[in-house]
Amino acid sequence: MRLRGPTLAQRVPWTLVVFLAALSVPFLGSRYDVFLATQIAISALFAVSLNLLLGTTGLVSFGHVAYFGIGSYVCGILMKTYGVPFSLALPAAALGSAGFALVVGFFCVRLIKIYFAMLTLAFSQIVWAICFKWNEVTGGDQGLPDVPYPNLDWIAAIPGFDGLRIGGQFYVLALIVVAISLAAMRRIVASPFGRVLTTIRENPERAAFIGVNVRRYELAAFVVAGGFAGIAGALFGIFNRGVFADYVYWPKSAEVMIMTILGGMQYFWGPVVGAATLVLLNQQITSYTQYWPFVLGVILLVLLFVFPGGIVGGIAVGVARLRRRSWRRLGA
Amino acid sequence: MSRCRILAAACLAACLAPFAAGAESTIKIGFPMPLSGPAAVYGAPVTKGAEMAVQEINAHGGVLGHKLELLERDSKASADEAVRLARELIIKDNVDFLVGTLTSAEAPAVSTIAKENRIVFIAPTSKSVQLTSPKNLHPYLFRLASNTDIEGHSAASIIAGWKEVKRVAIIAPDYAYGRDAVAAFIGYLKKARPDIQIVDQQWPKLGQSDFTPFITAQMGTHPDAIFCDVYGGDFVTFAKQAGPLGYFKAVNNRLVDGGEVGTTDEAQALGADYPYGIWSDAYDPVIWAGDEPPEHKAFIEHLKAFTHEKYGSGWAIMGYSAIVALTDAIKKANSTDSDKVSKSLLGLTFDTPVGKRTFNAKTHETEMGEFWGQMVKGEHYPFAIISNPKYLAVGPFTD
Repeated sequence: MRLRGPTLAQRVPWTLVVFLAALSVPFLGSRYDVFLATQIAISALFAVSLNLLLGTTGLVSFGHVAYFGIGSYVCGILMKTYGVPFSLALPAAALGSAGFALVVGFFCVRLIKIYFAMLTLAFSQIVWAICFKWNEVTGGDQGLPDVPYPNLDWIAAIPGFDGLRIGGQFYVLALIVVAISLAAMRRIVASPFGRVLTTIRENPERAAFIGVNVRRYELAAFVVAGGFAGIAGALFGIFNRGVFADYVYWPKSAEVMIMTILGGMQYFWGPVVGAATLVLLNQQITSYTQYWPFVLGVILLVLLFVFPGGIVGGIAVGVARLRRRSWRRLGA
Repeated sequence: MSRCRILAAACLAACLAPFAAGAESTIKIGFPMPLSGPAAVYGAPVTKGAEMAVQEINAHGGVLGHKLELLERDSKASADEAVRLARELIIKDNVDFLVGTLTSAEAPAVSTIAKENRIVFIAPTSKSVQLTSPKNLHPYLFRLASNTDIEGHSAASIIAGWKEVKRVAIIAPDYAYGRDAVAAFIGYLKKARPDIQIVDQQWPKLGQSDFTPFITAQMGTHPDAIFCDVYGGDFVTFAKQAGPLGYFKAVNNRLVDGGEVGTTDEAQALGADYPYGIWSDAYDPVIWAGDEPPEHKAFIEHLKAFTHEKYGSGWAIMGYSAIVALTDAIKKANSTDSDKVSKSLLGLTFDTPVGKRTFNAKTHETEMGEFWGQMVKGEHYPFAIISNPKYLAVGPFTD
């Protein structure tokens, strides 16, 4: 192994670059592009929060949608029913989801593998049942339509941003929240805490042997992931102009898991790529055919056999192979 | 790792690529409607009706010199999906109007989008009174359908007429439509027959696949009559599971369903499994013994030719009439601007195959009733038909 300092590519603050590139969408694209970009940004945050469990800690959670849903319900109910401003409703949504994740996690981390996965699914179904049945608070099956937009006057006050429509302004707000959340998660994954989580993923017995309290670390990861999922949920409720019981139903858990695996769960940016791919594919394919689930199934099948590392993994392997070939040519 | 970051950035940048917008020569009507799943039993024929109206109008040269274009999308009977589609139709396909949604969960959600984008939205089938309650009503929202007050009252008036009935049970889907219809039903029944007791209420969810626990629990309370609001594909499942358990026999077929299971669509979906003898309703009885209006006869003949089906649908009329009403409003306004069209819809009277209907200028509703009657084995038909369909309408209730 050769030791080398950070390359140029590593020195570039990629979160910032992606953020700035994404920020140009409302200025360059149409209303529909802004719509898709908002959906991608929020889905990306949700998928990265799941990957904190899936890729980083090695915990397979089938109930991640519960925290997304709680976040959107908390934010939606606070903003619509009680008229609370977004600046308070968003942290409340994150805290609400994290708090619930703490309770659920307390039980779940006591189990491993398939039992852990099934218990997370069970809890998410309980959340769904509550959201579906508690008509007075959650609106039951018809949900809470008409969640108001937050006050976005401050975005309009920024020079250059005053011409944006409300959808564009909300996109800017969502993008800022998503970028801060992604940066925070990036720090968490790279921190000593994150390293311990990776150790647990690789070998929980050995981690316990070297003195790591595995359950407590897993619980911490569970709570952090739940909190960020809650933020994504809060944004999505406003974006979709309402909160519905479908947000907490298990197929959404599967969808976010597909995004994560599709993008590549060994990579921090994998779920982001997965989210963008799935959202764009969905809207492209559904405009040609009704058989979107069939197409999705085929794509996944190919992916799992040909690129087990996801899109990012596949590209990384390809690039590495090209490099090696050029190295060899240089040597000859 | 760094390379992956570059690629991630490239992928995000890909979504910057602008998408082409369509040409603007037709009048575009966005039509989100359940075309798959249990609600499609009603959603598909409503769509056929709308298609037929568009074809007829275009054959006569369109409206204001423009052809109509119907953009159909499958809402899967989900509010979440309906909202997504409505927004996509508005911002991607640049539709001029929205017509559609089937359930009372979808319609209020889409109504929000219509309000925000200032686009006229006509709900052809959603019945929940909440949709047009003063709190939720806005200038761009119109309801062609009946409403849950009218339905609940009509159903209660039928049950109230059965002197021997003392114990009534209720089964309805657990969302706005079921809840509002049941509230109206109970309210009216309590007034008309204070001696009747509501002994049981069951709330299966929309799209329930197993009704057995609800059926057995309800039979355990020994009702004399039942008010049911299960409809569409759900009623097919429900009736097939309830029949063998003796559910309909136990109440002597005194079950009144307000969810249009009296339509030929529902009757054909159930075929020989139909619980003959129950009472139900339809916007259009299709098979009309006696004094059938000639416009109706012509409509059904045209519909049969259009759909290449042997029998007409009891739901097509709603999609058809919604498009007709919208077209009349565009003509009256002499514009496709939603602000002008929404004004011309107020108090607009338009023709339907079963008579004239009017949008109440205050409630934005037609307050239309439905044809009710007992479901019997058709003599010349391999499915159940309404015997002596009677038009029941009371209103207005929702102001």
